[in-house]
Amino acid sequence: MAWRFLLAILLGGVCYLDRTAACQLMLHRPLVVATLMGAVFGNMAAGAQVGVVLELIYLARLPVGASIPPDDTGAAVFGGSAAAVASSSIGLDPGSFTALLLFSVIVAEAGKAADRFVRKVNVRIARLTAESVDRGDVQAVEHGLLAGLTLFAVTGMVLALVFSGAGVAVSKELLPRFGPASRGNFAILLPTLPLLGAASVYACSRTERTSAVFFLTMAAVCCGTVLFRWQA
Amino acid sequence: MQNVGFAYAILPALRDFYANRPEDALKAVKRHLEFFNTHPAMGALVLGASVRLEERVAAGETDPRAIGTFKVGLMGSLGAVGDSFFWGALRPMASVAGALLALLHPLLGVAALILLYNGVHLTLRRRGFAAGMQGPEAVVAWLKQAALNVRTDDLRLLAAILAGAYAGVFAARFFVQEGGALPVLASLLLAAAAVHLFSVLFRKAVSPSEILSFLLLVGVLILWR
Repeated sequence: MAWRFLLAILLGGVCYLDRTAACQLMLHRPLVVATLMGAVFGNMAAGAQVGVVLELIYLARLPVGASIPPDDTGAAVFGGSAAAVASSSIGLDPGSFTALLLFSVIVAEAGKAADRFVRKVNVRIARLTAESVDRGDVQAVEHGLLAGLTLFAVTGMVLALVFSGAGVAVSKELLPRFGPASRGNFAILLPTLPLLGAASVYACSRTERTSAVFFLTMAAVCCGTVLFRWQA
Repeated sequence: MQNVGFAYAILPALRDFYANRPEDALKAVKRHLEFFNTHPAMGALVLGASVRLEERVAAGETDPRAIGTFKVGLMGSLGAVGDSFFWGALRPMASVAGALLALLHPLLGVAALILLYNGVHLTLRRRGFAAGMQGPEAVVAWLKQAALNVRTDDLRLLAAILAGAYAGVFAARFFVQEGGALPVLASLLLAAAAVHLFSVLFRKAVSPSEILSFLLLVGVLILWR
């Protein structure tokens, strides 16, 4: 298990760097992160299932201006690792799947608080860099940038360790305490989660024709899927 | 706070332009350590134009204050355009396309998300930088030609279509339990009403975390019972 956590830490560092400080190539998106974490902890498909749902849910909160959105990368680290571990122990039944998705909100908010703190430290680094340049040290720009990148990478690694550890602990310790029947009750809430994700995209894709195309496509695909199922 | 990153990116050009003038190089670096904040992908456009302006300043053709005026004048509007295009249209479109394809195979979804987003993102960064390098005068012409506002609407429409398909797939999977046209219609209406309710909540600035927390509370109450 130790090497799995080591790999999770390394991937976490890269993904968190991509989230804010470098590149922004979407390596930090929940679909990517949860799939990777699922693969690291033994079941890529289980991680991807969580990633598919988490991917869309947080899109409604745009990282615009000074607003800091919830840490969907952290939620995916937690959800992906937890789903993979659960699938190989108690099984990833709909109740456990729903519970993991809902527990991930706690992680997303904790990650947001950490993000806020890191950004404050980064502002301090920028101020110190400017002061050093004022004193004539041009190389301070390179050192300041390196310090900022290191700060985000190290924080990402720590968060990845904590969140993947929490995911493994929840799957191994918390979920088995509830019987299959209790977990099954949780599954009542499962249908709302993908629809919440779809609503998230719908809400941030507002144009004059959005409502019509969204609901017409939804109806067509739903009816088509049902017809296909009946014929099969 | 992108000032340190911007100063780092322009540093090689400054070292070249002010090769034997350390005092002027220091002043130039200080200019780029002033407050700067825009959309990260649009920063390349400002960077390219700033490099060209610094070249003119080094040659004594332009007042150094023109650089600050240019950056401050452009960063706000580019930030708004970039946020709307990249965060409000391109990312949702790529995300929902990735999520749909991940239902077929996880790696297909991951590849689709990364390729769809970065195909556009990296192209715009490269072209923006190249346009900026032609001088600040070319920036406006490039922005006009790129027509990001029109493409934003197109991408939003595409995202809405894909999100509709995503909602349709899950509505069929979770809501439609019985055969017959009436139960299917009722289930579809129920799912559509849920999507509408959530979108109204989002528009009233309720965060996804608040909705998920509420659902978690409901789940805990169910377990308690």
